Amino acid sequence: MYWNDPRAWSPFDELRSLQREMNRLFDGYETRTAMSRFPALNVWGNEENIVVTAELPGLETADLDISVVNNQLTIKGERKGDKPAEDAVCHRREREAGKFVRTVRLPFAVENDKVTAKYENGVLTVYMPRHEATKPKRIEIKGS
Amino acid sequence: MKNVNEKAVQKAEKAQPVQQEREYVPTTDVYEKENAVLIRCDMPGVAQEDVDIRLDNNELEIVAKQKDGRPGGLDLLIGEYATGVFRRKFSIPQLIDRDGIKARLHQGVLDLELPKAEQAVPRKIEVTTGG
Repeated sequence: MYWNDPRAWSPFDELRSLQREMNRLFDGYETRTAMSRFPALNVWGNEENIVVTAELPGLETADLDISVVNNQLTIKGERKGDKPAEDAVCHRREREAGKFVRTVRLPFAVENDKVTAKYENGVLTVYMPRHEATKPKRIEIKGS
Repeated sequence: MKNVNEKAVQKAEKAQPVQQEREYVPTTDVYEKENAVLIRCDMPGVAQEDVDIRLDNNELEIVAKQKDGRPGGLDLLIGEYATGVFRRKFSIPQLIDRDGIKARLHQGVLDLELPKAEQAVPRKIEVTTGG
């Protein structure tokens, strides 16, 4: 029967390949949106400094681990999903808990020793000055 | 035609100052204890003085304005979140002790404690054996 012949053209193959393509398209899209990455980051900068801010409510500074290597910043942490009271019954749970890791590539290498971080009102702010060696240098032109 | 263009420009100019702040619904957990209902909301970037909690009849409304986290003199290179106002309403049953509501904000998490009124707290009834 012709529809069992693997060499024969089948409209279903076409549809299946289209479906695969569509799935691939949306899979790729989903993993790339900002919403699927936690925490969401804002990166601010000028020629001299880079500041990264992240909304991370309900952590303690001990739960946060920030490291910088050259031009990569990594923020690790864990949000504990502890109950407000031992005998409390949960009716609604929207706040997520768990471990997270996020790495961002910065536009230039930074001075690892001079990185400072602040955690205030549930917002993490990391200040990073640009590495001296990567700063643009003005080259004087000497007249002969 | 020119008139239409002018109108469009005027409209655009007008629209800018009216630009409202974004509103967000804070993610919330609700718990219940024997003597109280506990509400816990995520509100990153909100300072204590910017939280406004209102109880009107059976409606509890929380409005909290986020601090504009923009560091001075820097441009936004990657923006994955924006700041705005958190707003959420809750229906509160009558059996809540309205005067005893407590709120606490710690590291961007708002904890509300709504104590139950006397008559709503479950009572243990002792069974006595008839002698």
